[in-house]
Amino acid sequence: MKRLLVRLLVTSCGLVAIAYVSMFVSATPPAWAPISLAIGANGVIMTLMAIGAVRHDTMPRSLVWTFLGLFVLCAGAFVVALLLPAHEGPGGPLLLGLPMRSAIVLYSVGVVPIAILPLAYALTFESSTLSEDDLVRVRAAHASTRESEQA
Amino acid sequence: MTTPMLLQSAIPGLASPAIVAIALVYFVVVAAIATWATRRTKNANDFFVAGAGVGLWTLAIAKMAATLSGFAFIGGPGLVYTIGIGAVFIILPGALSNALGAWVLAKRMRLLGEARGLFTVPDAIGARYGSRLAQGLAAVAVLVAVTGYIATNLLALGLVIDAIFGTGLSTGIWIGTAIILAYSVAGGIMAGIYTDVFQGSVMAIASAIVFAFALKSGGGMEHISRTIMAADAAYLGPWGRIGPMAAISFFFVFGVGSLGQPHVIHKFYMLRDPRQLKWYPLLMTVALAVTQLLYVSVGVAMKALVLGGSMAPLAKADQATPQFLLHYTPTLVAGLVFSGVAAAIMATVNSFMSVGAAALTHDLPIAFGGRVTDELRVGRISTVVLAVVAAAVAQASGTLVAFLGIFGWGLFGSTIVPALAIGLNWEGATRAGAIASIATGLGITLVGETLGYFKVYGLPAGVSISALALVSSLLAFFAVSWLTRDTARGSIDPDIQIVMNA
Repeated sequence: MKRLLVRLLVTSCGLVAIAYVSMFVSATPPAWAPISLAIGANGVIMTLMAIGAVRHDTMPRSLVWTFLGLFVLCAGAFVVALLLPAHEGPGGPLLLGLPMRSAIVLYSVGVVPIAILPLAYALTFESSTLSEDDLVRVRAAHASTRESEQA
Repeated sequence: MTTPMLLQSAIPGLASPAIVAIALVYFVVVAAIATWATRRTKNANDFFVAGAGVGLWTLAIAKMAATLSGFAFIGGPGLVYTIGIGAVFIILPGALSNALGAWVLAKRMRLLGEARGLFTVPDAIGARYGSRLAQGLAAVAVLVAVTGYIATNLLALGLVIDAIFGTGLSTGIWIGTAIILAYSVAGGIMAGIYTDVFQGSVMAIASAIVFAFALKSGGGMEHISRTIMAADAAYLGPWGRIGPMAAISFFFVFGVGSLGQPHVIHKFYMLRDPRQLKWYPLLMTVALAVTQLLYVSVGVAMKALVLGGSMAPLAKADQATPQFLLHYTPTLVAGLVFSGVAAAIMATVNSFMSVGAAALTHDLPIAFGGRVTDELRVGRISTVVLAVVAAAVAQASGTLVAFLGIFGWGLFGSTIVPALAIGLNWEGATRAGAIASIATGLGITLVGETLGYFKVYGLPAGVSISALALVSSLLAFFAVSWLTRDTARGSIDPDIQIVMNA
C-alpha cells in the first residue's frame, strides 16, 4: 500500500510542478493550470496523511474512505469553483453569507475537515496509531541501545 | 504574488490609560509565569524541550501560539483588507494541517525523543539518515530563516510597544527584545511554553470577542457581503484579487509547509505521554480556528465599512485592525487585543530563539564532529547573540528586515518537509535524497528571493519562490532517492526503524 501511496504522492507533486511550468512556458496561463495545481496540492496533502497513517503496509478501511472522501471533497470544491461562472456582483447568490463559489471552497476545505479529521484520528488512535505494545517496543529498543553503548 | 508580511508600518497611537493598564497587567503576568518556569530549568533538556514533561493542553495551546505570530492579528487582516478572500488561503489549510502533522510527524517525533533523547528537528534528520551533513545543512536552513523571522517579529513588537506606551520605535524594539530575552535566556523553552499557554489564551479570547464585534459592525455576514459585492465583485470571489494560481499556491505552501516549521514541530518532543496525542488534532484545530477568526473578520468588515462610507479608506493596510479596534470596540477589548498581538509575537520569538539557539549549540557542532560540553550555558549565550543580532537588524534597516522576513515559511518547508516528514514515513528515502532536497530548497529559496528582491528577475503572476522551492525539493528528494535506491536497504539504524514501524 505504501508503494502505491508514494507513487500517488509523486504524481501529485508532478501535477503541481506541471502547473507552475505552464506559467513559464505560456504568456497566457492555460485554463487547466489552476485545476492541475488544485488537484496536485490536495493530492500531496491527502497522500502524505495516508502515508503517515499506514502501519505494517495496511490502513483501516475507515481511514481509506476518510482520506479518499476528503480528497474528492477538497479538490472537487476547488475545481467546481474554478469551473463555475462568476456571480459575485451585486445581487449574486449567497450561501451561508458568502458568494456561492467562495462558500463552496471555504466551507468544504476550511470547515468540513475540522469536523472529520480530528475525530478520525482519535477514533483510530489505539488500533492504528499508537498502542501500549508500540511504546514497550520503543522503550526496549532504547534500553538496548543504551546497554550496547555502555558496553 | 503578494508576500505576506507580519507588520510593515507604524500603527496608530493607543496610549490611553486603560490600554496601558491592561498591557502592563499582561507583562506582569508573563513575568510571573516566566519566573516560576525558570526555577524549573535545570539542564539542557529542560532548556530546549521543557524536560519532555508537558501535558496535552499545554502543548496544543503553546503550539497554536507559536504558529500564529502577530501576522494573524495585524498583517493578516491587512492582507485580507487588500486582496480579499485570496488571503484566506494562508490560514485555510489549518483545517487539514493539524491532522496532517499528527499522522505524519507527531508520533514519530515523540518516539524519536524517547528512543534517542533528541531535541531538535535537524537532530531527527541526522538520526534518520545517519548523516551529519544532512543535520548540518538543516541547521543552516533553520538558522537563516530563524534570524529573519526573529528580526521581523521584533520590529513588529517594537511597533506595538511604541503604539501603546509611546516609547519610539527604536526603544520599543529593545524593550521588547529585553523582555523576551529575560525569560528565554533564564528559562529557555520551559519558560516560553508556559507563558505561551497564557499568551495563547489571551489570543483566542481576544480573537473570539473581536469576531463578534466585526460581524455586528457590518450588520451580519450577509449584509457585509452585499455591501462589498455592490462595489467590488472580485474581492469576495473565491480567489480574491490575486487569481486562482496565487491563492491555491498559498494553500499548497502553507498546507504542506506546515510539516516543516521547526519552532512548532519540535514541540512534539516535549509531550509527557505520547498516548495523549490521541486528542491533539482536535484541540489544536479548534484552538487555531478560534484564534484565526479575527484574521478573516476584521479585514472583511473594514472593507465593508470603507465601501459603505462608514470609514475613510485606510492609508496603510496594516491599520485595519488598530482602526477597527479604536472605532468599533470598547477600550478594554482594544487593550486585550493589543496584549494579544504582543503575546503572539513574543510566543513566536521565544520559540524561534529556542530552535535557533539549539541549531547553534547542538546541531552545528555535531555536524562538524564535535559536541558542546555545557549545552545549557552555551544555549543561553546563543540565545542572547541571536536576539541581539536580530534586534540590531530590525532597528538598522526596515528593508533588510522585509527581505529576511519573506524567507521563513518557504525555506523551512522546502528544506525540512521532504527529508523529515516523508523520510520518517518511507524506507525508500536515502541520505543522498535528503541532502539533495535540503540543498535544493536552500538554493532555490536564497537565490530566487534575492533575485526577486533586487528585481533582477520576476516570476510569472501567481507563482512564488516558496512554492517553486517546495515542489522542486520534493521532486529532487524522490528523484535522487530513486537513483540511489540501492543504498536505502539496511541504512536505517534498528531503533529508528522500530520508531518508523510503530
